[in-house]
Amino acid sequence: MEPQRAKSVTRSVQWREKAFPYALLAPALLLLAALTVYPFFYILHTSVHRLTPAGETFVGAQNFLRLLGDPFFYRAAVQTLVFTASALTLEFALGLALALLLDSQIRGRALWRALLLLPMILPPVVAGVTWRLIYNPGFGPLNGALRLLGLDTRRLTWLADPIVALASVVLVDVWEWTPFVFLILLAGLQAIPEEPYEAARIDGSSPWQTFRHVTLPLLLPALLVALLLRTMDLVRLFDSVFILTQGGPGFATETLSLYIYKTAFRFYDFGYAAAASLALLVVTGALSRLYIRFLTREERA
Amino acid sequence: MRRRAATFGKYALLAVFLLFFLFPLYWLVLTSVKTQAEQFASPPVWWPRSFTTDYYAGLFQSTTGWLAFNSLLVAAGSTLVALAAGTLAAYALSRFRLPWRLNQRLGHWILSTRMFPPIVSIVPLFLIMRGLDLVDTRAALVAAYSVFNLPFVVWMMKGFFDELPRELEEAALVDGDSRFGAFRRIILPLVRPGLAATAIFCMIVAWNEFLFALILTQTEGALTLPVGIANQVTQYEIRWGAMSAAGVVAMTPMFVFALAVQRHLVRGLSFGAVKG
Amino acid sequence: MKLCNGGTVVAAALLLSALALGACRSRSTDSDLLMAVNAGVEADGLKASAAEYRKERGITIRIIEYPYQSLFEKLMISLTGPSSNYDLVMIDDPWFPRLAEMQTLAELAPLFRARGLTGPDGDFVEASLALCRHPYRTGALYALPCVGNTQLFFYRRDLYEKHGLEPPRTWDDVYRTGKEIGEREGIYGYVMRAAQGNAIVSDFMPLFWAFGGEMFDASGRPRVNSPEGVAALEFMLRLAEIAPPGYANFNADEVGAHLLQGTAVMAINWPAWIPAFADPARSKVIGKIGYLNVPSQKRPGASSIGNWLVGIPRRSRHAEEAFEFLLWVTAPEQMRQSALKGNPPTRRSVFEDPELVARFPSYPVQYRALVGSRPRPRSAVWNEIENTFGIYLSQANSGYYSAREALDAANRDIEAILQRWNLSARNP
Repeated sequence: MEPQRAKSVTRSVQWREKAFPYALLAPALLLLAALTVYPFFYILHTSVHRLTPAGETFVGAQNFLRLLGDPFFYRAAVQTLVFTASALTLEFALGLALALLLDSQIRGRALWRALLLLPMILPPVVAGVTWRLIYNPGFGPLNGALRLLGLDTRRLTWLADPIVALASVVLVDVWEWTPFVFLILLAGLQAIPEEPYEAARIDGSSPWQTFRHVTLPLLLPALLVALLLRTMDLVRLFDSVFILTQGGPGFATETLSLYIYKTAFRFYDFGYAAAASLALLVVTGALSRLYIRFLTREERA
Repeated sequence: MRRRAATFGKYALLAVFLLFFLFPLYWLVLTSVKTQAEQFASPPVWWPRSFTTDYYAGLFQSTTGWLAFNSLLVAAGSTLVALAAGTLAAYALSRFRLPWRLNQRLGHWILSTRMFPPIVSIVPLFLIMRGLDLVDTRAALVAAYSVFNLPFVVWMMKGFFDELPRELEEAALVDGDSRFGAFRRIILPLVRPGLAATAIFCMIVAWNEFLFALILTQTEGALTLPVGIANQVTQYEIRWGAMSAAGVVAMTPMFVFALAVQRHLVRGLSFGAVKG
Repeated sequence: MKLCNGGTVVAAALLLSALALGACRSRSTDSDLLMAVNAGVEADGLKASAAEYRKERGITIRIIEYPYQSLFEKLMISLTGPSSNYDLVMIDDPWFPRLAEMQTLAELAPLFRARGLTGPDGDFVEASLALCRHPYRTGALYALPCVGNTQLFFYRRDLYEKHGLEPPRTWDDVYRTGKEIGEREGIYGYVMRAAQGNAIVSDFMPLFWAFGGEMFDASGRPRVNSPEGVAALEFMLRLAEIAPPGYANFNADEVGAHLLQGTAVMAINWPAWIPAFADPARSKVIGKIGYLNVPSQKRPGASSIGNWLVGIPRRSRHAEEAFEFLLWVTAPEQMRQSALKGNPPTRRSVFEDPELVARFPSYPVQYRALVGSRPRPRSAVWNEIENTFGIYLSQANSGYYSAREALDAANRDIEAILQRWNLSARNP
């Protein structure tokens, strides 16, 4: 009797041992699955239907065909691309400059670093309204300052100008997120050991050569991290464009996210919005896989 | 001589950068204390002649107080949920070797959910909430933000757990402690700074969030501060004073929080890829 | 193994309390009514009314205000759900066909009958009441008109007198006199809203109609690119010559500012701006602005009507009390109060009230404009049509397209929209 009971007790203890990690994982996985897996299948389902007040009708690939022939969708996609590319370029140029600056001998480094956090930390909505204030052609400080310099600002309407609007929105994003790039690059710079620099100095390299052959290669991992994360965020950008221009003037600042939002909530065309969402998902999915693959390589290293 | 020019150049450049990044915030704070006449003045008033606290006083009388309260409640609630579920999951992924390379696979899946564009999940999420009759409740936002923050919590905490040697638990187990007991008594206290940092990150994300709050809330029972600020943009005019005062209120706690977690900021921002 | 020990209990308790905290809806007492309104002067008027209603009847109406676009989204989201938060909703008249089509609003006839009334009294302006019926003018009543906005033509009466010119009666007059006075005074002859969407379409419709254009033909197919339509858009682009730079993104905000600052001679705008013209803190043109009906051209000028209607969601749990409030707030006395705050009425008696006419000398013109106004085409997908139409109009004004190209493209897209939803639209 005794040995059998002992065996069953051991087995149940063993089972509990094995189940323990799964029990720990369960709440998180369930929560995530409920609120991400279902939406994904919903999007798949809706994208092949048309929703009307009467109900839904299966339309097959019609939404996707329409997407392929929709000049507004393409324009939104192209604008998102242009936006992303220009914002990335500026954010990395400025971010790198700032990182190099604060990596060198500068007094009050901790203070500057702390202050530079601000644009990134505040709610994007607040960033949006702040810049609406600044861009206001009549009483905003931007035109005010330009007028002090003697410029005629009557044609400078920034967010209202179809040609300049996108650039204006890009500037806001650059303002908001350069600190993000800066912080990551700074951490990357500070992680570079002294030896390569020593060697370069002994070799007599110029600052530019040192930068190109020592700093940049060693900074590459951090650069890639920042690049991938920023790209993913830019592609799905919504908050600031919504506050600044709502996609106007005309269609000049319409991004993919905004286009999907309007299709869903202003025209109530959920099927089409779902199809467009899938297109966006493909892009972000590819980017996230890149990122994860990169992380895995880092893990193994 | 060249050295000095270079140093001067550096500080000059830094000054330009600081001006660029900080001036807009200065202007926001300024607008919140300017009188209306000075707000619309052209040329702009760089330093007001008279200050007014009307807009801040107005915040207390209006529903903005409620909105801040909602934001706080939702942020705190979702942080607790995300922290609880995420820390447990992170511990599991860190300490236990699961079959079928699940550690890696689950970890990557969890991270990929963070990359989902919010606009894509908003409609189905909205339908779920409507089905559960949770539209316009703080619970809906708590649930949504918990999901937002879970992947982040898992990856942050996993990083912290990975840094602790296994021997710590082994010792406790040998002494007769249970798995969970060892976790609670030995490991958790050691990662408290990590928990704090992660919690603050979650608070910031939840507090700043806009799109979900925009769609899922309708009345001041659940409306959050970012949506309240956006609502100041009416059809005929923009209420700059009220909006900037609310903006200052919205941004100040975040800055305080960010300063508190400065040390872990880079690690958090990069999901653990770059050690700050 | 003790999986359930103190730690887990504490964690679980925290979790539950977090969720409980989150779940407490701060729904006020069940007897309160909830009303969704447009932020701005309409909301201000209704808040005052609600406060008075509480004093009189002891019932609380909570007014929630949203910016214009957000209001539409909230209405759609809320009214198409299983339960509706709101007991009363403010509806801009172009949204009405969609909401009525989707059967989201309660029919008012039974509510009238329950009170022994046959329907709304004859004091309501017919043009406004017609908007509240679905189908337009002839169908069942689903709302009552609350704010009787219709576009007005504002012009600098003082400058016309100064230069000995007759007030403009046709659009050609507008261009001619606007250019002349503008050049002589060094200001802009005409300012308009050309921001994409609702703004530019609202400003364009009177021009379009005056030139003889119709958005839809007799069979309900779009005809915006008719010769008349193209002529109208080409004229608008000519007007751009005497308009301020940047007008391509102007909204009512900027148009109002130009008039207030005295930098423009004339504009179409909504009556909500009239009080501002007399406000010394904002206006440099006190007493100088005159009011006209919108100009004619080939046809008599007809302004766009843009009334705010108030309806009761079908799924409201307080339909009876909501209807009580609705009757009360659209009664002459309350409408008078609201008018004093800048919300034009929808009742003839209020338009002719001597005190109000003394206060708002524009009322006679407004009343005639309202009576002779036209609504935008009634369509359940008007939002989409307006958006598309607005984009092309806006792009023509930005120089992206010529007038003909823009209207051809717009016509094509509007046709596609109608086909997609299997609808046709009517010119009322």
